[in-house]
Amino acid sequence: KMFSDTAFVRDESQEDITTEHSVSHSQITRLYSRFTSLDKGENGTLSREDFQRIPELAINPLGDRIINAFFPEGEDQVNFRGFMRTLAHFRPIEDNEKSKDQNGPEPLNSRSNKLHFAFRLYDLDKDDKISRDELLQVLRMMVGVNISDEQLGSIADRTIQEADQDGDSAISFAEFVKVLEKVDVEQKMSIRFLH
Amino acid sequence: MLTSEGQPAPLPGGDVPGFTPAPPAAPEEIHPLKEQPANGSGEGHAKPRKAFPVIGIDYTHVRIPFEISLWILLACLMKLGFHVIPSVSSIVPESCLLIVVGLLVGGLIKGVGEKPPILKSDIFFLFLLPPIILDAGYFLPLRPFTENLGTILIFAVVGTLWNAFFLGGLMYAVCQLGGPGLNHIGLLANLLFGSIISAVDPVAVLAVFEEIHINELLHILVFGESLLNDAVTVVLYHLFEEFASFEQVTILDIILGFFSFFVVSLGGVLVGVIYGVIAAFTSRFTSHIRVIEPLFVFLYSYMAYLSAELFHLSGIMALIAAGVVMRPYVEANISHKSHTTIKYFLKMWSSVSETLIFIFLGVSTVAGHHYWNWTFVISTLFFCLIARVLGVLVLTWFINKFRIVKLTPKDQFIIAYGGLRGAIAFSLGYLLDYKHFGMRDMFLTAIITVIFFTVFVQGMTIRPLVDLLAVKKKQETKRSINEEIHTQFLDHLLTGIEDICGHYGHHHWKDKLNRFNKKYVKKCLIAGERSKEPQLIAFYHKMEMKQAIELVESGGIGKIPSAVSTVSIQNINPQSLPLERVLPALSKDKEEEIRKILRTNLQKTRQRLRSYNRHTLVADPYEEAWNQMLLRRQKARQLEQKMNNYLTVPAHRVDSPTMSRARIGSDPLAYEPKEDSENLPIITIDPASPQSPESVDLMSEEPKGCSGLPPSPEEDEEGLVMRVKEPSSPGTDDVFTPGASDSPSNQRMLRCLSDPGPRPEPEEGEPFIPKGQ
Repeated sequence: KMFSDTAFVRDESQEDITTEHSVSHSQITRLYSRFTSLDKGENGTLSREDFQRIPELAINPLGDRIINAFFPEGEDQVNFRGFMRTLAHFRPIEDNEKSKDQNGPEPLNSRSNKLHFAFRLYDLDKDDKISRDELLQVLRMMVGVNISDEQLGSIADRTIQEADQDGDSAISFAEFVKVLEKVDVEQKMSIRFLH
Repeated sequence: MLTSEGQPAPLPGGDVPGFTPAPPAAPEEIHPLKEQPANGSGEGHAKPRKAFPVIGIDYTHVRIPFEISLWILLACLMKLGFHVIPSVSSIVPESCLLIVVGLLVGGLIKGVGEKPPILKSDIFFLFLLPPIILDAGYFLPLRPFTENLGTILIFAVVGTLWNAFFLGGLMYAVCQLGGPGLNHIGLLANLLFGSIISAVDPVAVLAVFEEIHINELLHILVFGESLLNDAVTVVLYHLFEEFASFEQVTILDIILGFFSFFVVSLGGVLVGVIYGVIAAFTSRFTSHIRVIEPLFVFLYSYMAYLSAELFHLSGIMALIAAGVVMRPYVEANISHKSHTTIKYFLKMWSSVSETLIFIFLGVSTVAGHHYWNWTFVISTLFFCLIARVLGVLVLTWFINKFRIVKLTPKDQFIIAYGGLRGAIAFSLGYLLDYKHFGMRDMFLTAIITVIFFTVFVQGMTIRPLVDLLAVKKKQETKRSINEEIHTQFLDHLLTGIEDICGHYGHHHWKDKLNRFNKKYVKKCLIAGERSKEPQLIAFYHKMEMKQAIELVESGGIGKIPSAVSTVSIQNINPQSLPLERVLPALSKDKEEEIRKILRTNLQKTRQRLRSYNRHTLVADPYEEAWNQMLLRRQKARQLEQKMNNYLTVPAHRVDSPTMSRARIGSDPLAYEPKEDSENLPIITIDPASPQSPESVDLMSEEPKGCSGLPPSPEEDEEGLVMRVKEPSSPGTDDVFTPGASDSPSNQRMLRCLSDPGPRPEPEEGEPFIPKGQ
């Protein structure tokens, strides 16, 4: 069954995936085998429970949000294509890619799209702004339970103050990008083996 | 003039004839002033006696410390001089100037007829080198270092090996072809020479790269390489030195040599880690004797270095490992003052060391015996450069296959060009034994030539080249809380993605290490509550602390808004003194009193010019100010209870000290506006303190806060609320008059900041961030 699944992927979607995300054949094969190993129900799609079975993800503070990022709006299953699409954000940026294809759609792993991916993980209500509460939630997840609310609140306030330029007490995407302009996002948000 | 045995001590001016140490006899013999007729029990007092020397000279007594001090003083004066004449130092790097000074001084001494001192290898390796390396290791920027560790290791190990063998081999060929003068130099000798000259020198790299402010990646690549190649150099040096005394070199010897590399490097790191852990553990218990905390750091690090050198392991790697390992834990444990002390002492020592090294290089050049052989020297120089360029090119091509962010040709050029040689090469050459290496003088001459060339030519031209090639410069920004949060966020995100992919990459292992650290190590090595403090909170505290310090240093105490009965946020005109502005509903004489108190008690802070240099020292006048305030606060503390009645403040709220500090930090109006930024003393702490971007918002805050709102519960969010206290007695002269609601928590903050040392005050021994409640 696995072989036929692999063949299925190869025939129909592989071309699309390869051209769409510029991922090499070997990468697709590897990721597909990972996909199937996660897919305990063996129905060609992953559900949230499949992701939650990964042990390290359970202790990751952002585990749930990352899982949610794989699932498109309102759906509970993700197929291999969607899986690849999300992971394509983390492909390293090639030097030769930077110049070519200026008129085509921006590749998923461009700096802006990488940052947008991260931004969406903060911005749960999708209003294109990271509000104080959203920031507080993330801080609470990362910091643990020992820190008081007021302290987190003041950190959140300080963070927003630093980043906020248009005075709306929230961090918009543009402000988010600006704050991270010194951070080497291309390196930080890339996984080498997706090369 | 008596020694403890009762014998006459040698009088200044040498022995007076007739007064040589005599066996303890009758007292009248010992006392020179007594003109006793019957002093002869056979002692020769018949000789004419000198008068009692009122002033004498005994140079031999103090000779060695005196000369050492003179040299150090010369070094410091030179450093002073270079900054007084800025035009020269902008073209010529300091290291070059110092070598020239050394040449001049050496020439001077030689001209006088004395023998100028040569930089002895012992002094260099045991006293001059460790401070520089410790300074570099303790303040090593860990994140870029670990991210590029693979690249650095490849450059350090493979690159140095390549350089050594390539150079050695080629020089051997040159020697064979070079005619009668060079024929006798064997392959091993050449290989040894190659290994000495091939290592990039950390001192020279530091000295030159510090001034050109190149971007972090290149800096850490070249600098990291210069540090880590010490292991290779040590192994190769000892290897070839030993082999030179063998008649024959077998395969076994080579294999042993190969293994010794791992032993030397890993052993060095292990020694460093052990000492680092011990130092961290010791610092956990120093809460009662804060004064010697810095000493522990220095001593343990130095012991790590010496222990490694003892076993012929790599001392540099031990020192770096010790510094890196102990730093996070020690910094969590020690007081703020100790932290400052460590920083300043390290910077001071390393600065002086560096200066001395370069001066002595100059002097040694003049002093040493030289044997100039055109062929040898010129070909050494030539092949050194070729070897470096080739090595960098080939290795980069290989490394770029594995790097996410590739090294561009510009980067490669800078890396190749930044391969400076320095005093380590010279000292290693100096250590060579005449017995086995008769051509030592020639080697030394060649080494010195290469050093001079790299330091002078490459050092001087690298700055214009960097500008010409538009290499990315270092970004002089401080790490903001945003960056910290988002970077951690991205770390978690990437770890999660890696786990989903099933790929055990960089993030995965880093996460595992962090977890291990948090769970086990921190509990052992950090005292008290701080062991549970998440990294983010610690960073935030540090940032807040720095801003509070900046605030005080810039005279901000007077600028902290003091409201009487209403809300704290007032309109502050940043340029003028706050007392000039309109205060709502404050009676005239109360206002006068406040003014008088503040004016008389405000400390004048010293302003310093901002100059970027890792050797910049900034005064900490805030400490005296805080101490004084603390004293006065304590005097008035008893009266505070009564003051509550006079104040229209909300109910006393006890906040955790962190909260109060956070409040102080988050008060936007409490910060010095950016306009005065060039007068702000800059604290060059690592990580450097953040700018106060919110201070720009000061102007926009002005209209907001003008209204006379009644005190609201949100007040505490607005930062440090200063309320006027009516001094109940004329003797109470509070400089710092916080509101009653702030007092205990401010108390704690003040205590944290000032951390008095030996004064017996209650709870004085808290670390600079106190245990949370």
